[in-house]
Amino acid sequence: MSGDSQQLVNVVIDGKAIQAPPTLSVIQALWHAGYPRVKGVGCLEGVCGSCRVLVRRADEDGVKVELGCQTLVEDGMQAMFLVFPNPTHHHYRLSHIQNSWDLHAQFHRIFPEVANCRHCGGCTKGCPKNIDVERGVALASQGRFKEAGDLFVECIMCNICMTGCAEEIAPNHVGLFARRVTAYFHSRPSNLIHRLEQIRTGELTIEDHDSGQ
Amino acid sequence: MGSKSISYEQALADYRVEAERPLIEQHDNKEALLSAYHPDYRADTMTTLKVGPNSGDQCHRQVAASIQADARIDEADLAGASVVETDVLVIGGGGAGCAAALVAAVAGARVILATKLRLGDSNTVMAEGGIQASIDKNDTPQMHYDDTLAAGHGYGDRSLVAQMVMDGPDVIRWLIQQGMQFDTDEFGDLLTRRAGGTSANRVCYYRDYTGLEMMRSLREAVRNSDAEVWEYSPVVELMVNEQGHCAGAVISNLKDCSYVQVIAKSVILATGGIGRMHLNDFPTSNHFGATGDGLVLAYRLGAKLRDLDSFQYHPTGLAHPHHLAGTLITEGVRSAGTWLLNGNGERFVDELKPRDVVAAAILKECAEGRGIHTNDGAQGVWLDTPGLELRNPGILKQRFPKLLNLGKKAGIDPHTSPLLIYPTLHYQNGGVAINENGETTVPGLYCVGEASGGIHGKNRIMGNALLEIISFGRRAGAHAAERRSLRGHKRVSIDHLSRLRRELTISNMPMETKGPMLFPVCAKFDDDVDYEGLRRNRRK
Repeated sequence: MSGDSQQLVNVVIDGKAIQAPPTLSVIQALWHAGYPRVKGVGCLEGVCGSCRVLVRRADEDGVKVELGCQTLVEDGMQAMFLVFPNPTHHHYRLSHIQNSWDLHAQFHRIFPEVANCRHCGGCTKGCPKNIDVERGVALASQGRFKEAGDLFVECIMCNICMTGCAEEIAPNHVGLFARRVTAYFHSRPSNLIHRLEQIRTGELTIEDHDSGQ
Repeated sequence: MGSKSISYEQALADYRVEAERPLIEQHDNKEALLSAYHPDYRADTMTTLKVGPNSGDQCHRQVAASIQADARIDEADLAGASVVETDVLVIGGGGAGCAAALVAAVAGARVILATKLRLGDSNTVMAEGGIQASIDKNDTPQMHYDDTLAAGHGYGDRSLVAQMVMDGPDVIRWLIQQGMQFDTDEFGDLLTRRAGGTSANRVCYYRDYTGLEMMRSLREAVRNSDAEVWEYSPVVELMVNEQGHCAGAVISNLKDCSYVQVIAKSVILATGGIGRMHLNDFPTSNHFGATGDGLVLAYRLGAKLRDLDSFQYHPTGLAHPHHLAGTLITEGVRSAGTWLLNGNGERFVDELKPRDVVAAAILKECAEGRGIHTNDGAQGVWLDTPGLELRNPGILKQRFPKLLNLGKKAGIDPHTSPLLIYPTLHYQNGGVAINENGETTVPGLYCVGEASGGIHGKNRIMGNALLEIISFGRRAGAHAAERRSLRGHKRVSIDHLSRLRRELTISNMPMETKGPMLFPVCAKFDDDVDYEGLRRNRRK
């Protein structure tokens, strides 16, 4: 016996009325009902941030943004796939930041909108990974990049906070900037540097690697 | 699944958590177990290739059907297609493609990176374990080299492996320079941990998110580079010049259903693996886009492939509930001492044996009626997480937060209920044959990452995949960039398709299947009314 003996729920996905078993995710329910779906589908494990859907449940007034591969269909649910936003307009290259003492000033030059944060909390509320996004932006704004970046460990760059930000701050890119400069300027592992030197000087080599060709 | 097997509900009702369980069967005869139950060894899954550069070689039946399929397009489709020229065309937006594009762009080449979905949509982002690099004081590149070849049962290409292991430390440095973080000790030194089947602590990592951390750094770096990124742009065919060398690709734009011909001095295939082909109907841990497109495109152009009979099935993929089927449960859970139990509550294999052996033992239990089946068609055996928790109180919360998170999504609490698991298709060990620069046997065509073959032989150890994509991605990017000073192609076409169709006809091969596959069957891409551009060209 397969799915047909299970109770089916009624959902509306992208305007299409669908009946599906409640064990399916929004994406699977769409496929189950015979509708093709390619855009917005990614890892199907909740780590790539592709499948953003607007969801309204039968007993709720509000609309939430969730991941279509992680949200199971429920009776009376309405779901709609979000178009992926354009890439952020913020541009920078780590190699162009010559002096790390200048980092704080550079940050505000690259992300000028951060100063306009209204503290509306929209970014934090929307985050499917429960990151305190707004606090991360505030920390980065103060130049506390290590602290800010550590808040974004689980960020999957789904851009929901970016869509939700009225000031176009691109909070997830702020978080990623904070993480990247921390590695770029402050990570100098001595065990790695020592090994690189051993390889550079020819102290460590591979022997006997041509014999099997 | 035999009718003999035990139902999920029954098995769950019978399940008792116990502190001690004897191991019933040792499986001392590893070869016999593998040849009887491992999918790679089953005679009915293999076939002999009839056309192309690997004619006569053994190949998995589904992969063979795919690389010997007819093309999606013909001359007529190119009539209205616009033409764009570049130095380097990178196909694929995972870790390997991004590394290649970044290095080529920095070297001064004009670069286009075309990816089927979004930049970063790849298996890279899902990698949990880490990346191998010999950095520990008790480790050497030589040991890394020896471990890699031994794990591959001696089938790896020695000079490729030697080069990759020597690249290891510099790959880590390069990744830090792209803004990637690694876990370090109180002094800032890199932490390393041990992978199964290796002789030293060699896996560098960032928590259980190594791939995610790598991919988001590289994606941001590519976005801020001079490389042009084309998203939703699957490649449907490669193009050749007057000498039969690779000269570019035909790219399909999913947004406006049009074709674009990209004429390039060099093309770098970085299209990833084949998990979503669901070989032998196995679930997969792979990304939605892992449909083996690069293999098909390269083979048609005359590139030699290797080790196409070897795939990795990870023993512990979640089998229930349905919407999470195939999701990987990290090897660390077994390393910590979790048992595998059949439907009768018996242990049937030493859980710490190599992946291929454990996977085969699970398949044997299911085949002989001691498996557990659900009413929506799944089957598997128990991963006894409550037993682990009983013997080590608190371990699940402390060491496996990601597993508990998975449990939450599944509606199953691993503290009190075992998880149904079944082997999941995880990795393509072989692929397109390459040299030290990532060059295939076709001039102008490069291949890097999981789509290429030679590093892992017939079996891969944890952490070598992430090293390979960056090591060879950078090398191919640098080498391809140098070719920008070559003279342009005189004539660019898809003439190689006439040869393909002639050979298919002579060999009496079916012409109904079109390739590359582009998207998994479940997505019904070829019926997708939103994407008429490709559907129109299906000669049904």
